[in-house]
Amino acid sequence: MNHSHYERPALGWALLGVMTVWTALTAVAYAQPVGRRWPLLVADVAVAVGMVLATLAVETAHRIDAGSPTLPAAWAAAPILACAVADGPRGGTLAALAVAAADVGERGSLTEHTFNGVVLLLFAGAVGGYVVRLGVRAERAIGTAARREAAVAERERLARDIHDSVLQVLALVSRRGAALGGEASELARLAGEQEVRLRSLVSTPAPVRDDKGSVDVRALLEPLASAAVTVSCPADSVPLPEHAAHEVAAAVAAALDNVRRHAGDGARAWVFLEDAEDTVVVSIRDDGLGMPTDRLDEAREAGRLGVIQSILGRVRDLGGQATVTSAPGEGTEVELRVPRC
Amino acid sequence: MCPAADATVAEGALRVLVVDDHPIWRDGVARDLEAAGYVVCGTAGEGAQALRVAAATRPDVVLLDLNLPDMSGVEVARGLAALEPAPRVLVLSASGERQDVLDAMTAGATGYLLKSASMSELLEAVQRVAGGDAVFTPGLAGLVLGEYRRLAGGVEDVPRLTERETEILRLVAKGLTYPQIAERLVLSVRTVQNHVQSTLTKLQLHNKAQLVRYALEQGLD
Repeated sequence: MNHSHYERPALGWALLGVMTVWTALTAVAYAQPVGRRWPLLVADVAVAVGMVLATLAVETAHRIDAGSPTLPAAWAAAPILACAVADGPRGGTLAALAVAAADVGERGSLTEHTFNGVVLLLFAGAVGGYVVRLGVRAERAIGTAARREAAVAERERLARDIHDSVLQVLALVSRRGAALGGEASELARLAGEQEVRLRSLVSTPAPVRDDKGSVDVRALLEPLASAAVTVSCPADSVPLPEHAAHEVAAAVAAALDNVRRHAGDGARAWVFLEDAEDTVVVSIRDDGLGMPTDRLDEAREAGRLGVIQSILGRVRDLGGQATVTSAPGEGTEVELRVPRC
Repeated sequence: MCPAADATVAEGALRVLVVDDHPIWRDGVARDLEAAGYVVCGTAGEGAQALRVAAATRPDVVLLDLNLPDMSGVEVARGLAALEPAPRVLVLSASGERQDVLDAMTAGATGYLLKSASMSELLEAVQRVAGGDAVFTPGLAGLVLGEYRRLAGGVEDVPRLTERETEILRLVAKGLTYPQIAERLVLSVRTVQNHVQSTLTKLQLHNKAQLVRYALEQGLD
């Protein structure tokens, strides 16, 4: 402690007391949001400035010239930080300038020692304010994100409930209508079609690219479901590079188109997507007319396979394989194997 | 409502509990089941109620909708599987949410149908589930295959499919019926059924073991 060397030790003690009381007061005031306004901040800085200047009255001129610390020493940094917290870099810097000016005034000149102190004070004010501002902004952003996420989750939950109810009613209309016959069976058919479409819509994940540039193939295949087409997928996502995923989906769509055109009336089709580690396998099977294998080869050689040819081409371009098997009366099955690379 | 006391009901008729939060659907299905000669021993619109009614009326089969207001379908399926004697559970879902379906099946249900299934498909499924068969849709076969593939990526002791089981599940996923699969692989329909069922049983056992392990870990903490 320096009080034994003070010119006026009693005044020193008194000012120390003032500082203690002021610290207690501000601690209480700053704890309440109302306290964190500019009147208190200005008062806080003023007290610090006053204490720095009061050093002139307490210390001997000799010791001040020798570079002894000011009366409040590091205590003077507290209001700077308070201003930085309350007002960001601007408040912090202004408070630092005020206290720095007092420091220089107290010393009478800008010694190296004072200069270092001033730089540190300005740092504390500006950088402290900046960091605090950053923290507040980050906290606000996290809060907003969390609220938004909760809202989305809630909306999804509601949507699931509503979809389930609508699906129930559509399924019911479709079943009862079919039993009633006549005009009701037409309504039943329509309800059944809408049911399949809504269900595939509900269960389809969004076809968004993930951070590796991959797309979930399920998102592209599910929408192909209809009253005549069943699509089966795993519960987990089946990622493929975006281009490959779209090519596979296009090949499947072409195969289904082929089923519609050639498999005969009332033919049904099943699309089955498998994730076999380094390969993605999609099969498209129908229970339509089918054709003998030799005719398939014949047609292929003659280049008359049309749609099938385009499917094979697409898959080969992806470095994959496609096989077509068919027999009369047993439908046709196309299997696509695409490497993950 | 327990028409089991009704004298017109045949001796030994299957007793079915219908669990669905949609009254129109619930009553419609109950009516259809009764018309087909089944005994609807109760209906419930909530999961907790379903568990109470099931414990009291001991149905052979529970038709379970996965979308209930108070409990998840998985919890209800698990609760039903814990009953003594446990009823067979046939899951009926309108939306076919993949993970929900898969979870309910591994929790102990043995059959799954979409609500768009026709009445005859539903009646047949109830009959088969009651007889101890697993009722799969192509969609469920795809989910089960995917689940085995997912488990195979783990390090722990996981159930695996035999080559035959994989082959049969793939054919189910491609929309072939059991008789069609039997014909193609030159097997009996019974054998095909047994293979399909075993794929589900292995998943259920694994799931139960996981639950026990989890409970022990929590208890020993």
